[in-house]
Amino acid sequence: MTVLDPVLDALARYDGALASVDADRAVDLVEGLLDDGVDPVTVLVDVIASAQRTVGDRWQRGEWTVAEEHAATAVSVSATEAVARHVRRTPATRGRVVVACAEREWHALPAMIVGTALRANGWDITLLGASTPPVRLSQYLHDLGPDATAVSCSVLGALPTTRRFIEASTAAGIPVVVGGSAFGPDDHRAKALGATAWASGAREAVAAVRSLPTVVPAADPVNGSAAAEQAAMELAHHRLVTSLRERWSLAAQIVTTERLPLDSVHSVAADVVNQALHAVWAALLTDDPRALSHTAAWVADLLAARAVEPTLVGELGRLLARDLRDYPLARALVEHHWTATTGSR
Amino acid sequence: MAGPKSIAGTAPAAPPPLGAHTAHAPTEHQLLDQARQRASLAGEITSQLAGSLNLRRTILRLFALITPELADWAMLAMVDHRTGRVALHGGHDHTFATTVDRDRTEDLGVGRVLRSGQSELLHVALAPEGQTPTADGLDSMIPHDALRAEATALRPADVLGLALTARGTTVGMLVLVRGAGRGFPEDDVALAEQIAGRAAMALDSARLYEDRNRVASVLQASLRPPALPRVPGLRLAARFRAAAEHLDIGGDFYDVHGSERDWLLAIGDVCGKGVEAAVLTGRARQSIRTAAHFDRSPRGVLAALNAVLYEEESDKFVTAVCARVRPAPDSRTAEVDLAAAGHPAPLVLRADGTVEQVDVAGTVAGVLPEVGYQETTIALGPGDTMLMFTDGIYEARGPEGFYGLDRVIGLLPAYAGAGPEAVCEALEQDVVEHLGGRAHDDMALFAVACGR
Repeated sequence: MTVLDPVLDALARYDGALASVDADRAVDLVEGLLDDGVDPVTVLVDVIASAQRTVGDRWQRGEWTVAEEHAATAVSVSATEAVARHVRRTPATRGRVVVACAEREWHALPAMIVGTALRANGWDITLLGASTPPVRLSQYLHDLGPDATAVSCSVLGALPTTRRFIEASTAAGIPVVVGGSAFGPDDHRAKALGATAWASGAREAVAAVRSLPTVVPAADPVNGSAAAEQAAMELAHHRLVTSLRERWSLAAQIVTTERLPLDSVHSVAADVVNQALHAVWAALLTDDPRALSHTAAWVADLLAARAVEPTLVGELGRLLARDLRDYPLARALVEHHWTATTGSR
Repeated sequence: MAGPKSIAGTAPAAPPPLGAHTAHAPTEHQLLDQARQRASLAGEITSQLAGSLNLRRTILRLFALITPELADWAMLAMVDHRTGRVALHGGHDHTFATTVDRDRTEDLGVGRVLRSGQSELLHVALAPEGQTPTADGLDSMIPHDALRAEATALRPADVLGLALTARGTTVGMLVLVRGAGRGFPEDDVALAEQIAGRAAMALDSARLYEDRNRVASVLQASLRPPALPRVPGLRLAARFRAAAEHLDIGGDFYDVHGSERDWLLAIGDVCGKGVEAAVLTGRARQSIRTAAHFDRSPRGVLAALNAVLYEEESDKFVTAVCARVRPAPDSRTAEVDLAAAGHPAPLVLRADGTVEQVDVAGTVAGVLPEVGYQETTIALGPGDTMLMFTDGIYEARGPEGFYGLDRVIGLLPAYAGAGPEAVCEALEQDVVEHLGGRAHDDMALFAVACGR
């Protein structure tokens, strides 16, 4: 007799459903687990979120196209909706939490997972979806007067707008929990942005929301000169991107995934250039240079997976430093922290 | 209940609390310190209370700001003019809330303060342990047994009932209690009255906002795009972004009506923007719903919509596409009948990545007395997705100009077979990124594919 860990077994089967873009199979599987009495948060975290991490890895390794990544994510949205239907059967007994993604954050699924996990723990939730302007968040905060705001941020480029969310929430006295991969491995960036609490995952978010203060003071202003440089870079973003794309020699390289225009060399180059600039924003705003060194390593992995000349990572750093001559703090950060050491792979 | 104040920064060693009894007369230095403390408290309360328009959040913040600096214990009584009751908030648990009948407060200090708008400082005559307590200041100011017990346990010497008067009306009362060893000197009463004045203004603003919001949110909810139902045999996904992004309502709409294996999907766009457009949107949606109840044919639904809008004798018009979708019993394919009223024709993304625009057109609804609409029928095969959209999508204008229908058509092939949710997600993202933060018109997407 073999005893399989039902959750690990489910994860493997769920992964298969994602790979074949089979929403029906994913939903059946999730509903089966819930009917068997598996805790909804376990399903969300150890099956759906866990499998979803490999989706991003597959794109990074060049195994999946952006479209395949979207398709797999849509399957996980259906599966998370199935969990949401299940947990809504029991009434909410605690207060209300507004769950949102700031502008430029298009990964709505992590917020959905956190929201559903909170709902499973008795919180009434209001989900605002992807890329929400601060004026819309404020409207909801004043209309609903929730006990907490939860903000999910996966991309570095959305940290400045996430800071706006933190301002909107704390100005109304509402504590704000933040989480997501853009915050890095610890609470440094969350603290720098003035969040009330940081959560490393959905489970931790549930625990964090439970122990929040009832009222918080308005967040302190962020570091003036660095924030001013970040804002100026944001205004000049289009120009900076265009300049870097024209000169970075990745455009001359051959990339392995050429099946579709979306994954062409130009598109990958554009993505990398955007990420690099966003990493500078994040480092400036949160005083965390790891945003740059981690991004350089990420770029190195991404290009290595596409058989691109590794020296191009360093070249991008040099071009970036040169283009940032009007932004002394940003330039110093790039010069010191854009190190092109390859990551784990 | 109030936990730690924040993860950022703690205050330096605090001076003795305001009103603390001391053995000696305060030194000049201490007096100066207290004056500073009072001024900073009044300033902080003014700026922080302005941050929220939500009544509950404003109340919670008021308690967080005044305890323990101004009082060890606080309670708020607010008159609810609609119900004739008095809402009580606070005590040790700042989130506690209950209501009492206003009649019960009339003969007490609470009632006097609420009627007269005059604050009162009452002496507390606590009975010695073991004796029956006589009615005193706490009984008069706190019309709730559990709350009164909390205040009594602090063994205060006085209780301060502050009238909250804003814009000519006394909207409530703030009750402050300081525990044993801490009284209410004149300067502190003056400070408390000053703070009460500012709190009254903030609470009254929040009350006005809440009254308006109660009406608006009910109306708004009926005008918001609907949550999509689960339809057997079909997969649906939709997106809506209002031009007035904080309102979540506007001139674009989508809807689903039907049952079993016969469904009517509608998407449309009324002339104008914002609240006025949303009201017309509501009428158009209702007309479509009613028409579809009797006849689900797109031609019939649009003709009815046209007739209803025309008869209203307004200069308002609506564009719309109606699609009657009938999935086959095996849910792998569906037959789709379409009709359009001045609205961009839907696109069909085939499983093999080819993109076709459906050949369907017709006059806008609401302009001519009688319009005959033509129907077109298409087949949705396994892996095909039909995408309906409003003009806000291709007219989205960013730093590089209009988004354009060509970009929509160019984006789709990569998402062949990915399903409606992935198509909507990708297109919404691409359009909004194209805008580069600029203003936009209402935008709606509505996609359908076969599937269980």
